[in-house]
Amino acid sequence: MNIYINGTGCISPQDTAQGGPLLAAPREYEQVRLATVDPDYKQWIDVKQIRRMSRVVKMGVAAANLSLEAAGITLPDAIITGTAYGCLDDTGVFLTKMVNQQEEMLTPTAFIQSTHNTVAGQIALLLGCNGYNNTFVHRGFSFENALLDAIMILKEGTAKHILAGGMDEITNYSHQVLSRFGIYKKAPVKTMELLNSPDTGTIAGEGAAFFALGITKDPGTAAELTGVSTLYKPLWEGEVIGHIMKFLEDHHCTPADIDLLVTGRNGDIDQDEMYEEVAAALFPDHAEASFKHLCGEYPTAAAFGLWMANAIIAEQAVPEAAVFYGHAPQKINRILLYNHHQGTHHSFVLLTAC
Amino acid sequence: MADLKAQIIEQLNLHEVAPESIGDDQPLFSKEGLGLDSIDALELIVLLQQHYNIRIANPEEGPKIFQSVRTMAEYITANQTIKA
Repeated sequence: MNIYINGTGCISPQDTAQGGPLLAAPREYEQVRLATVDPDYKQWIDVKQIRRMSRVVKMGVAAANLSLEAAGITLPDAIITGTAYGCLDDTGVFLTKMVNQQEEMLTPTAFIQSTHNTVAGQIALLLGCNGYNNTFVHRGFSFENALLDAIMILKEGTAKHILAGGMDEITNYSHQVLSRFGIYKKAPVKTMELLNSPDTGTIAGEGAAFFALGITKDPGTAAELTGVSTLYKPLWEGEVIGHIMKFLEDHHCTPADIDLLVTGRNGDIDQDEMYEEVAAALFPDHAEASFKHLCGEYPTAAAFGLWMANAIIAEQAVPEAAVFYGHAPQKINRILLYNHHQGTHHSFVLLTAC
Repeated sequence: MADLKAQIIEQLNLHEVAPESIGDDQPLFSKEGLGLDSIDALELIVLLQQHYNIRIANPEEGPKIFQSVRTMAEYITANQTIKA
């Protein structure tokens, strides 16, 4: 059974919500923290409901609506999301109030909106969807596990249309805490120069990307979601290379059948070394595109990568802003998306043109 | 009552509503009025506690107290007078 991406929607630090050609006018930043370009959320959410929604909820609802609109679906059979941080903003509000008010007079709004499954819940409430609703909170595998769950349900035959997506937000608190781990660059860097950065650290990002998945393809469907695989804490690059070979073999192809490699390079010289090793061993002559200089680093950034890979297949062209190395062939039939989050969570998604 | 309207807007995140657009006698919980819901009712109870140190002892009084901005203001005035 084949699984198709029938519609996509994305809210990111790029102008991804407005449609049009992929990254036609890429936004270049010179900072270590990228924020989403927010559309007018009132086109999808009632004013009275929007007041209780934090940014991650709004961006999730918007991306979900965009993907359903693109697929021409009003009611999916299931909603599955992945988020590592969940609704951080409301969590911060609630915890701050607990401390400041000595655990008294706490209001319900921030608390009920602070759980990780708020986004999936809000989408279901707005759509009136009573079907399966699940949220995966698995750090750098949150989005990938949401995809795997969607694939299994579609293959079981209990659903025909599934809305699956990944999202994470940055807040002032979270950025402060994560900065202490030395994850980010110490000085602002131009995003279009990030991937050639000679030092460690990356830039923080956020966003939401959703996919309307189905077992039948529509006239507008560009790609088939051929396979998804994850690898946790590989001991060395050889384990990653072996995993990719096995993954491709399971889907009846070899590195030679891949037309474009899309990687999660993030400008951290230590973390990007793995991509160098993999590309040198398996894809030495392949064109390579990257995406984290466009959306920043966050645990569910692979959702942006998948959104971009699907758009590349749809347009049969790699936008200049995304090119890292080489020239993609005229016909882009297969894309391998390889991403890792902080060197521990490695994921692989294989897309095939319809 | 202008202060109370501003406090309601702040507490309920109604930032797109101007204080002067809320009528003194406009129903707070009906669709013809502000269209608030049960979560907002809890927020308003907390507002009374935080800003006026007033606790509603009898929950059954709620619908009467939170009928409009005027009824809230009257309840606040009456209870603050009693405290004094």
